[in-house]
Amino acid sequence: MDLTYTASELMAAAGAREIKDREIVAVGLGLPVVASFLAKQTHAPNMTMLFELGVIDSEPVHAGVGLADPRVWYRAKVLSSFVDILGSILHKGRVDVGFLGGLETDQYGNLNTSLIGDLHGKFRHMVGSGGANDIASSAKRNILIMRHDERKLKKTISFVTSPGYMTGGDSRAKAGLSGGPSRVITDKAIFGFHPETKQMMVISIHPGNTIEDVLGTMGFTPIIPKHVPFTEPPEKDQLRLIREVIDPGKMYMG
Amino acid sequence: MEKITTLAEAVASVPSGSHVALSGFPITRCAMAFAREVIRQGIKGLTLSQCVGAMDADMLVGAGAVERLIYGGGSLDRFGRLNCVNRGIEDGSLQAEEYSSLSVTFRYLAGSLGMPFIPIRSLQGSDLIRRIQEHTGSDVANITDPFTGENWLVLKPLLPDVSVLVVHTADAEGNAWIMGPRWDNVEQAKASKRTIIIAEHVVSTEVIRQHAERTVIPGLLVSHVVEMPFAAHPTSVYREYDYDAKEIEKYVKATSTPESFKAYLDEYVYGVKDHWEYLEKMGGMKHLNALKADPILGY
Repeated sequence: MDLTYTASELMAAAGAREIKDREIVAVGLGLPVVASFLAKQTHAPNMTMLFELGVIDSEPVHAGVGLADPRVWYRAKVLSSFVDILGSILHKGRVDVGFLGGLETDQYGNLNTSLIGDLHGKFRHMVGSGGANDIASSAKRNILIMRHDERKLKKTISFVTSPGYMTGGDSRAKAGLSGGPSRVITDKAIFGFHPETKQMMVISIHPGNTIEDVLGTMGFTPIIPKHVPFTEPPEKDQLRLIREVIDPGKMYMG
Repeated sequence: MEKITTLAEAVASVPSGSHVALSGFPITRCAMAFAREVIRQGIKGLTLSQCVGAMDADMLVGAGAVERLIYGGGSLDRFGRLNCVNRGIEDGSLQAEEYSSLSVTFRYLAGSLGMPFIPIRSLQGSDLIRRIQEHTGSDVANITDPFTGENWLVLKPLLPDVSVLVVHTADAEGNAWIMGPRWDNVEQAKASKRTIIIAEHVVSTEVIRQHAERTVIPGLLVSHVVEMPFAAHPTSVYREYDYDAKEIEKYVKATSTPESFKAYLDEYVYGVKDHWEYLEKMGGMKHLNALKADPILGY
């Protein structure tokens, strides 16, 4: 098997590694789905996967176009409702990990899925929250997955749909929210957050990139520790599962 | 009371200016036949609500039937965005009040239980709540928990005039079964003054009695029951039929400009007399049969 890999495959593998066995994970569509199924089929067989509309632990055999596609609900253990999933599981405080994609994020992991441009001038409205704001507010930790691009990793984002660490420090706690983003996974690097200032911090750089590549394509400067390792590449078995089992039609991996 | 009626009669019971909760979720179980009939009857000034904006709401907004939309964001999944809703937000012609999925659902839940308000952890620290406060300060507030002293955001209940639900099976009283996930539909119906049921199948009450645990909407909430196969077309109904990808793609393309959407409405809404003529235009039995769900897969 070809062991060279795409940036998307590495992002999915890195996302999967963030999930521990037995954790309860609320999943948004796209790469988070691949990462979650990958975790479940490798080191986290006892994790629980939630889709907001009322789906628990489905086992799709065909890729779906979104959460509204019954392909994504196939072989679920529970088919219920928003109150059931986002209410009595998420809002109750039982979700360990929220897995979210987005249009833009800033150095505090605030996430925009609503609009691009100037809200009080000219803007384009995109999607909005769906369950993203709920997950960002109530999951014990959140993992953000997005492309590494100056237009996506910005100093100031157009709209805060889902709060990260807000303006840093203890501003999130002061707003009455615990949790917060733990990781941001891009196609060039993995970031964490400084324990006190809550600024984004480089954790590792994906093989083939330099620190200049990473910093030169983002709109703010993250904290750079003295020693920055390379991200672990995807393993052979992870690549096989992604290509042959989880996303053979390249629906998510593009 | 006889509740079984035609779609035209059920739609005629909804006056202009009503608050309507719609059952769609992006591209599944959308009240499409209802939306098309509302447009044909020229009903205007509606307030729509749903926890995730879907194709039924987008079509009604695009046809100019909607003044206000209370929703949690939305899309047509990978097919595209809600072009009509987005255009209305961008040019200011639509009063959109944008929440998250759970906050809209909690507003229905409070309404369904007869509660005066409901606390929620969502929305805090976001621009969503800032926007909502700017637009409708009266639907959200902060209170102190009398037991712990903690500060909580509270939401006002949503109390729609009518909810319109596309369901799988119902009897003449409106006792209804929804197969698969139900998103916010049950709370919508319970929060509303009354519910219009649009069922793929109408069965005798004896059939309902045989599997009463499947009944998620009690008939006592229901004012009208309409039997209407493929009422959600081109969106899907789990275990009944798949979404019609080509027709959704056509819709997305048509909604890219107001002019092309006007032509779409002229052809597929105003250009047909009723739902049956619409289905014929879509290709009739031959085409619809190809969309029928596999009983194991559900799509």
